[in-house]
Amino acid sequence: MKQLVREVFPYVVFAGALLVVPAIFTRVPFFTMSTAVQMAIMAIATLGLVVLMGYAGQISIGQAAFFGIGAFSSAILTTQGGLSPIIALVAGMVLAGGVAYVVGLGIFRVSGHYLALATIAFGLMLGYIARQLDITGGASGIFGVPNLAIGQVAFRTDLSFYYLAAAILFICVVLVRNLLRSLFGRSLLALGNSEIAASSSGINTAKHKRTTFVIAAVLAALAGSLQAHWITFVDYHTLDLLLSIQILIMASVGGVATVWGAPVGAFLVIALSQAAKETLPEIFPNIGGQFEIVVYGMALLLVLLFLPQGVAGSLQRRRSRRAPTSETVEEVSV
Amino acid sequence: MLVYQVTGIINFAQGEFVMLGALGFAILREGGMPGLLAATVAIGATVLGGLLVERLCLAPARQATEIRLIILTIGAAITIQGLALVIFGTDPHFAPTFSSGPPISIGGAVILTQYLWVFGATALAVVALWFFLTRTMTGRAMRAVAMNKAAARSVGISPSRMSMLAFMLAAALGSIGGVVLAPLQAPDAGIGIALGLKGFTAAVIGGLHSPAGAVVGGLSIGIVESLAAGFLPSGYKDAVTFGILFLVLLLRPQGLLRSVQEARV
Repeated sequence: MKQLVREVFPYVVFAGALLVVPAIFTRVPFFTMSTAVQMAIMAIATLGLVVLMGYAGQISIGQAAFFGIGAFSSAILTTQGGLSPIIALVAGMVLAGGVAYVVGLGIFRVSGHYLALATIAFGLMLGYIARQLDITGGASGIFGVPNLAIGQVAFRTDLSFYYLAAAILFICVVLVRNLLRSLFGRSLLALGNSEIAASSSGINTAKHKRTTFVIAAVLAALAGSLQAHWITFVDYHTLDLLLSIQILIMASVGGVATVWGAPVGAFLVIALSQAAKETLPEIFPNIGGQFEIVVYGMALLLVLLFLPQGVAGSLQRRRSRRAPTSETVEEVSV
Repeated sequence: MLVYQVTGIINFAQGEFVMLGALGFAILREGGMPGLLAATVAIGATVLGGLLVERLCLAPARQATEIRLIILTIGAAITIQGLALVIFGTDPHFAPTFSSGPPISIGGAVILTQYLWVFGATALAVVALWFFLTRTMTGRAMRAVAMNKAAARSVGISPSRMSMLAFMLAAALGSIGGVVLAPLQAPDAGIGIALGLKGFTAAVIGGLHSPAGAVVGGLSIGIVESLAAGFLPSGYKDAVTFGILFLVLLLRPQGLLRSVQEARV
């Protein structure tokens, strides 16, 4: 019984937090429901990177590529192919997974800095191509992407879309968390800690890295599709390097040692940048462009220097020091 | 690149050093400061920035994993860019060319005089760097740290001081590049990332371990880009650059990675 409570408890807290968001966000400054939707979408994309970085120990600064593949698949298939949004969304995830698989065949021959550069190059390349092709709308993008609808229920308002995105996020977190506690997850953890040790104990490291890359890509594509259907517009900015960096920052700030890092990171980073957007222009008259990245950068530096485990990781660690649970194993990785 | 050699860290903030140098120079020139003084101030400020980045961001995390160090330099890069946006906004700034006069024609090709300054500065920087790294005590100490940190420490070289020096030197080189480029391309606060990535591409293609390699890599990118412009619409230029980077990393990692793997064994 106690075991069951311990198993279910985090999910209950998480579901509760997701459910009270609308009540809070409509009442405090800086926050609106659209901020909440953005947080939920980015948390889904970040979740993939948590698995890739925290468990398999691989970096990717090209997650926007898969986010963009999802977004553009949704946009193109619904506006030009006449498919329903749900089918387009699934197609985008499949396509992103396929692309990630093929790229993963080659990209994990390198690691560390080279992997970081290779993923950046891949993302930038897709971004520049999307800016040129007619099918992706070139520089102007694709307008009029239909809203998501399940049966007769269409998710048009920010509030209804939030519930949809939050539900999807919840499902993804549950799935990923269970996956990470399986044999596969433990193998990944071994891989992230020491590749040599992992492969000498019979773990197919190349295959595991690739699978993880595919998982991260599919989650990013899911987030991208959701965003496309929510703002009903997609252009090449969806593939921007800045988005890849944002996802990386959210993962690092939240902490990559646990799945909870993704929602925590997305919440903190977006909340901070929202606050910065509202307050900084009053202080600095010359301000311009996407200046809120200064907040991303500082949050990232501070967290990395003072909370190497990320915010969620640090909280979890404090808790488990009191009562060791099965999760202590998960915290070995950084 | 220099930073990579000494500290084993690819510095994603390098492009921001170029931006700081270029933007600082252009703003000071617009303010009416004489060229030489403006260049000195801009370069000096950037070197200070490099020192701050190393001391505040990287030195405290000396023991961190490679991934964390990468992310730290990214954090530093976007913090610098963000601060520049907060303080200077997005407006481009203009600097006059170093020497006035009509474009020179060499063998039928017409070249702006500023390009000669760029070539001159590049050549000078490469030679000076080579001289520093191979002929001076400090430069040799720096290379020793790059080869083997523990051994360098045991003969009395401080890796931490060398890493600090390397960052300052990298900032100086980056900002010199920025200063000579400023009259050609009006700098704004957002140019750092693109410049930095182009620089990496050059360095990776040319080989991360020799200063001359970066120059060769840079030139070959320029050539391929202009060749590609003949076959494809010009908008694909950047896609081609990063496509090449991607392919080089994928197909020839063993060639490029050789010394890295040696270090690991």
